[in-house]
Amino acid sequence: MTSGVPSDPDAAFVRVNDVAKIYDTGKMTIEAIAKADFEVAKGQFVAVLGPSGCGKSTLLMMCAGLESITTGTIMIAGQPMRGPRTSVGVMFQDSMLLPWKNVLENVLFPIRILRRPRSEYIDRAHALIELVGLTGFEDKRPHELSGGMRQRVAICRALIYDPDILLMDEPFSALDAITRDEMNDALLDIWQRYTKTALFVTHSIREAVLLADRVLVMTNRPSTIIEDVTIPFVRPRTNEISETPEFMQICSYLRSLIEQGHGRGRQNPGTRATVRKSRVVQGTGR
Amino acid sequence: MRGRPQLSRTVGLPIATAVMLCVLWQIIVTANGIPEYILPAPFDVGRTLLASLPNLLAHASISGTEAVAAFLLATLLGFVAAAVLTYSPLLRDIFYPAIVGFQLIPKVALAPLFIVWLGTESASRITFATFLSFFPVLISTLTGLQNADPTAVRLCRSLTASDWQTLVSVRIPFSLPYFLSATKVAATLAVTGIVVAEFITANAGLGFLILSSGPRMETLTIFAAIFMLCIVGLSLYGTVALLERAGRRWFTGA
Repeated sequence: MTSGVPSDPDAAFVRVNDVAKIYDTGKMTIEAIAKADFEVAKGQFVAVLGPSGCGKSTLLMMCAGLESITTGTIMIAGQPMRGPRTSVGVMFQDSMLLPWKNVLENVLFPIRILRRPRSEYIDRAHALIELVGLTGFEDKRPHELSGGMRQRVAICRALIYDPDILLMDEPFSALDAITRDEMNDALLDIWQRYTKTALFVTHSIREAVLLADRVLVMTNRPSTIIEDVTIPFVRPRTNEISETPEFMQICSYLRSLIEQGHGRGRQNPGTRATVRKSRVVQGTGR
Repeated sequence: MRGRPQLSRTVGLPIATAVMLCVLWQIIVTANGIPEYILPAPFDVGRTLLASLPNLLAHASISGTEAVAAFLLATLLGFVAAAVLTYSPLLRDIFYPAIVGFQLIPKVALAPLFIVWLGTESASRITFATFLSFFPVLISTLTGLQNADPTAVRLCRSLTASDWQTLVSVRIPFSLPYFLSATKVAATLAVTGIVVAEFITANAGLGFLILSSGPRMETLTIFAAIFMLCIVGLSLYGTVALLERAGRRWFTGA
């Protein structure tokens, strides 16, 4: 798998070239995504932010090779996506743990499917379980866990086979606000240790700004990416940065962009200018 | 399982009801002087049951063995057919309408045909009972296999799982509750199928005993045979229900 990775570290790891998605139901065609065009560098965490039903999950599923691409190309590690690939890990909105397996077996599920030697991954499984704070829960079944705990297990399952990139489809949207904050902290923590390239789809502005290095703002159907905003906060980050005025400023700027996309709100040039300036001053912080 | 006090209620209450009904039945028969060949009293049925127990057991073991064979065949074939139809859209399009059509016709009416085609030996009875109990297993399992959580199937696809791996590791476990419910229906139908087939062809078995006792007005024997039949049916159903509960417990861990 490493053979496809470009040797130049600055080269794009993910390249989405003029991708469009049109559903043809036979009677009518629905243009879900008009144009998506962006790149993600290796090791970068990019959030795709947009309102519900804007096609951002479809975009992610196309990157995962789980959804066909109508026009355009998606290249990951220099190779076009034509179907699912083991170097790409996916996390879904639903934790989707198998109810008849305990925590450890759920984490090891990909190893079984990939027919890799289980003994080589047991230690890694335990390490991941410890990292997400679930040590002692290895023998528990999913129904014995809370929603947040289940998503923690799903994170471990996505990382167990060491994919080069992680695609996350609103993984925390079904959780309550407090658990969601906890999960964001947990994800930041995991990111610190296992820096991976990531594409994270969300409709939460706060979540996008907190987690990502860059936020791509998507409009409603037929959707396009209207803005690519660099988030300046240095890592390691914690939830506390969300209290800072700068954080709130970026959030309100993103909100105004989304409202624009909806065709209602009005652009606020002042906010825009301030954020632009902060980007220049602070750099990317990486 | 809930607590112990519930057990006395869930088991004790139905038994008490059954005893009460038997007492009521005995009283009605004795008080009105109903002749034995019309409606024998439960006490007399019990006596006949004990007196001709070896004979009854011989008949019951024939019917029971055939019913179990039919049940096993039906669940196995139903399950395999469901798996095949899940993975072959072409075969599904060809056979599914016919399968639904078969559900709608009274299959018991076809019993004599099986005798014509397969003779009067136990093979034809088992085939007929299998035929009767096969369809609920097939349709229910097919529903279960197709209704496996779409996200789970996507998870498998994202891991580049083969169709076979997806079937074994996700679809079959998810279809298990559907399959298990259907096996309970199949257990009942297998016994029904054997009795109907025995009405037509057999020279042994509980169905034969019931039918041959009718013209001789041996109502006591008929009741004793029906009682044995209930035992056979309940044992098969009970075993399947216990397996079903174990399966469900495995599935959810509850």
